[in-house]
Amino acid sequence: MELPILSLITFIPLVGALVVLCLPKDNRRAIEAVALAAAAVPFLLTAWLYFAFDRTTAAMQFVERHAWISTTAVSIDYYLGVDGLSAPLVILTTLMSLIALIASLGIKERFKEYCFWFLILEVGMLGVFESLDFFLFYVFWEITLVPMYFLIGIWGGPQKEYAAIKFFLYTLAGSVFMLLGILAMYFKAEPHTFDMLALMKIHGGLSFRFQVLAFLAFYFGFAIKVPAFPFHTWLPLAHVEAPTPVSVILAAVLLKMGVYGIMRVNYPMLPLGFEWFLPFLVLIAVVNIVYGAHCAMAQNDMKKMVAYSSINHMGYCLLAIAGVSATGFSGAAFQMVNHGIITGALFLLVGVIYDRAHTRDIGAFGGLAAKVPVYAGLMSLSCFASLGLPGMAGFVSEFLCFLGAFPRWKIHTAVSVLGIIITAAFFLRMLEKVFLGPLNKKWEGLPDMNLRELITIAPLALLMIALGIWPRWCLDMMNATMVDLAGLFR
Amino acid sequence: MANLALLKPELALSALALGLLAADLLLPAARKRALYVLAILACGIALALTGSALLRPAPLAGVGALWAVDPFSLFLKAVVLVSAVLALLLTMDDASIPDAEAGSFSALLLLSVAGMMFLVSATDLLLIFVSLELVSIASFILAGYERRNPKSNEGALKYFIFGAFSSAVMAYGISLFYGATGATTLVAAKPQAALALTGLLFILVGFGFKAAIAPMHFWVPDAYEGAPTPVTAFLSVAPKLAAMGALARLLVALIPASSVDLTLLLSLLCGLTMTVGNLVALFQRNIKRLLAYSSIAQAGTIMMGIVTGDAMGVQGILIYSFVYVAMNIGAFAVANALGVERASHGAGHGGDPYDLDSFNGLAERSLPAALAMTFFLLSLAGIPPLAGFIGKFYLIGSAVGTHHYGLAVVAVLNSVIAVYYYMSVAYRMFFTPAKKGALAPTFGPCVYTTAVLALAVTLFFGVFPHRLAVWAQFSAKFLP
Repeated sequence: MELPILSLITFIPLVGALVVLCLPKDNRRAIEAVALAAAAVPFLLTAWLYFAFDRTTAAMQFVERHAWISTTAVSIDYYLGVDGLSAPLVILTTLMSLIALIASLGIKERFKEYCFWFLILEVGMLGVFESLDFFLFYVFWEITLVPMYFLIGIWGGPQKEYAAIKFFLYTLAGSVFMLLGILAMYFKAEPHTFDMLALMKIHGGLSFRFQVLAFLAFYFGFAIKVPAFPFHTWLPLAHVEAPTPVSVILAAVLLKMGVYGIMRVNYPMLPLGFEWFLPFLVLIAVVNIVYGAHCAMAQNDMKKMVAYSSINHMGYCLLAIAGVSATGFSGAAFQMVNHGIITGALFLLVGVIYDRAHTRDIGAFGGLAAKVPVYAGLMSLSCFASLGLPGMAGFVSEFLCFLGAFPRWKIHTAVSVLGIIITAAFFLRMLEKVFLGPLNKKWEGLPDMNLRELITIAPLALLMIALGIWPRWCLDMMNATMVDLAGLFR
Repeated sequence: MANLALLKPELALSALALGLLAADLLLPAARKRALYVLAILACGIALALTGSALLRPAPLAGVGALWAVDPFSLFLKAVVLVSAVLALLLTMDDASIPDAEAGSFSALLLLSVAGMMFLVSATDLLLIFVSLELVSIASFILAGYERRNPKSNEGALKYFIFGAFSSAVMAYGISLFYGATGATTLVAAKPQAALALTGLLFILVGFGFKAAIAPMHFWVPDAYEGAPTPVTAFLSVAPKLAAMGALARLLVALIPASSVDLTLLLSLLCGLTMTVGNLVALFQRNIKRLLAYSSIAQAGTIMMGIVTGDAMGVQGILIYSFVYVAMNIGAFAVANALGVERASHGAGHGGDPYDLDSFNGLAERSLPAALAMTFFLLSLAGIPPLAGFIGKFYLIGSAVGTHHYGLAVVAVLNSVIAVYYYMSVAYRMFFTPAKKGALAPTFGPCVYTTAVLALAVTLFFGVFPHRLAVWAQFSAKFLP
C-alpha cells in the first residue's frame, strides 16, 4: 500500500493539537516540543514531496480517494491530490507554519491554547490546497476561520476583539455564498458530484446566465480572502491587530486561498462567467495595485504599511490571471509563493522591532542602521525583494505577471507598472526614515536580532535570493499545470 | 389489534409513566431520586422497542387510518426519547426541582414524550389534536415547575394562554376541514374547496405555535427563561422536533404541494422564522433567552426541509433533528452548570445567574468546558466539521436543488448573523478575563455525562457523517 502522504501532512498537525490539549498547561517545554514536532514533520514530508513531485505532468499527483458519505441523495469523497498549482502552496504552508510557530515561542500567555488553535489552523490551510472534492474543500476552508478568530482575538493588539469578529463575519459572509455556488454546481452536474475535476468538464452544458451567477457566488467568497477591492477593509485591521506570527500566516498563506480558489474554481469551471468578468477583474487588479500602494504610502505604522503592500501584491496576481496565458498563470502562482516568503519575512521583521521598541511608528526611529546592522540588512533585503529589485524573487514573479497580462491588457498593465514605482517609494521612504539619518537618542540601547529571530528570518532571506537567481526551482514545478490551464479553452 | 401492536413503544411509555406516579406514592421521600432512574429506564425500554421496530419494519398491512408507523416517525420517536433521557440526566443534577417532586415531574415528562410519539405518527386530525394537547398540557406544567420563581410562573402562564388560544384556533380549523371534506382523516385527503384550505391554514397556526414559528413565537423567550433549565433544554428540542415531524408528514406526504401548494407561504414563514430568531437573539444578555431565540431560528432551518419536500430535504430534517438534540442540549448542559454555580454563589448580589457574564473567562477557569461550549455553538451556527453543518448542508442543499434560491440565500445569510451572537458567548469565554477568585465550574456527574455524550455526537457525526446519512436515508420513508 502506498503511503497516504497528503493525509499525513494534513493531519499530523491535528494529532499534535490534540496532544497539546491533553498536556498540562504548566508544562511549557512539552507543549513547545509537541507543537514544533507537529509542524516540523509535515514540513519534512513536504520537502520530500518537493523532490518526489513529477514535474512533467499536469495531472493530479499523490491522489487519495475514499468514499466519505455515500447515499443516494448525496455522495461525497475524501479526495486529496496536488498538482503544479497546489503543491508549491502546500510546501509554502508547511514552511511558513513552522517558521511562524518558531516565532510564536515568545508568546507568554495561554501558550497551550495558542498552540492548539495554531495547529488546527494549519490543518485547515493544508486541506484547502489539497482537496479535490468541493465538500471537503468547503469544510477545510471553514476550519481556517475559527482558529484565526481566536488567534487574533486572544493574542492580538488593542482592537483585537473587533478585528477578530470582523475577520470572521467578513470571510464567513463570503464563504456561505461559495457554499451556494458549490451546491448549484453539484446539482448542475449529471450525475450529481462534488468532484472538482469532474466539475471542470461540465461547463459546456452550463448556460451563460448560470455561469455568471455561479461565478459571482464563488468570486465573492474568494475575493474577500484575496482581498480584492472593495472587499479589502478587513485586512489592514486584522493584520495590524494580530500577533506577529499570525500576521505572517494571514499574509503568507490565508490570502493565497483566495487567489488559489479563483485559479482552481472560477477559471476552469466557469469559462463564460470568467470571460464576462475579465474586464472587471482587470480593473479590480489595477485598483488593488495602485490604490493599495497609495494606501501603503500613507501609513506611518510599519505593520499597516506592509498590510497594504499585501493588497498591492495580490493585485499583481489578479492582473496576471486576467492575462489568461501560461506566462500569466505562472506569474500569479509564483507571485503567491514569493509574496508568502517576502511578506512573511517583513511581518516578522516588523515584529522584531516592535518587541524591542513597542512602537511601529516609522517616524519614531532614525539612524538604526549603525545600531542594529543585521536587522537593517535583513529588512533592506526583504524590502528590496518586495519592491521587485532584479535579482530577487519578487522581481521574477512580478515581471512574469506583467508579461502575462500585457498582450491582452496593454493600458491596464501600463497603469499597473506605476504601482511598482509607488511600492519602491514607500519602502525606500520607510528604510530611510528608520535606518538612515542621525540616530534617535531614544534607541541607544537597542539590541540586535537574537538567535530565534535569525532562525525564523534567515531561511526566508535565503529563499528570496535563491528563487531570484534560479526561479526554475519553483517554476518548473508549476509549468506543466500552468500550460495545461492556459490551454483549457483554446 | 395488529394495529395496536405497532404502538408498543407509546403504550409501554404511557403505562410506565402512570407506574411512576404510583411508585411516587410508595417511595419514602428520601429515595425519590430513584424515580429519575426509573424514568430513564422507561425511556430506555421505549427506545429499545422503537429501535427494534425500526430495524425490523412491520408489514405495512397493519397500518390503520389513525396512525402510520413508518421509519420516518420511528426515527423521530427515537430522537425525542433520546432528548428526554438527556433532559432527565440534566434534572438529576439540578436543585431547582425538589427531590420530593421527582415522581410527578418525570411522569409529566414521560407523558409529554408519549404525546410527541403519537404526534409524529398521526395521520388523522383528531389524533393530531389530542396528542398536541397532551404535549402542551404537560409542557405548561413543566415550564411552571419552579413555583416560587415569579419568572417561572409568568413564563408558564404566557405559554398556557398562547397555547390555549392556538389550540382553539386549531380545533376551529379542524372543524372547517371536516365540514369541507366530511372526514378528519388526512390519508388521501383532497382539500380542494376554499373551506378546507382555510381549515388547513388554521391548523397550521396550531403547529406554528408548538414549533414556535414566527410570528407565533412570542411565548418562547419568557417560557424558556422561566422554566427550570433542564425543562428549557427539553422544550427547546423535543416538542419542536415532534411538531416539525408532524408538519412534515402533513405537508410532504399527506397533502403535498402537488395537491395544495402552500410553498410560497411556507417559505415566507421559514425565512421569517430564521431571520426574526437570529436578529432578536443578537440583543440578548441571558443565555437561556439567547438559546431560546436561537432555537426559533433553528426551527426555521429545519422547516426548509418541509418547504422543499424532496428526498434530500426530508433526510435533512432527520439528520438535523438528531444533531440538534445533541448540540442544543449540550449547550444547555454547560449553561446549566455555570448557572447553578453562580446561583449557589449568590449570583453577584441577586443578579441573574444565567446572565452571559457567567461565561466570563471560562477558558481560563476550565478550558474543556469552554471548548465544549464553543463546539456546541459553532455546530449550531453550522460551521464544519461539526455535525450541525452536515444537517444544514442537507437542508440548504435541498433548497438549492429544488430551486428555492431565495430561501437558500436567506438561510446562509442567517448563519452569518447567528455566528455573531454565538461568538459573543465565545468572546466572553475566551477574551474577557475572569473575575478575581472565580473558580472552575463544577459539573455534576449527570450533567457531565450529558455534555460529554452531546460533544461526542457533535464531533463524531461531523467528521464521520456517513452512518448518520445512511440512517436518514433509510428513515426518510413515509407510509400512507
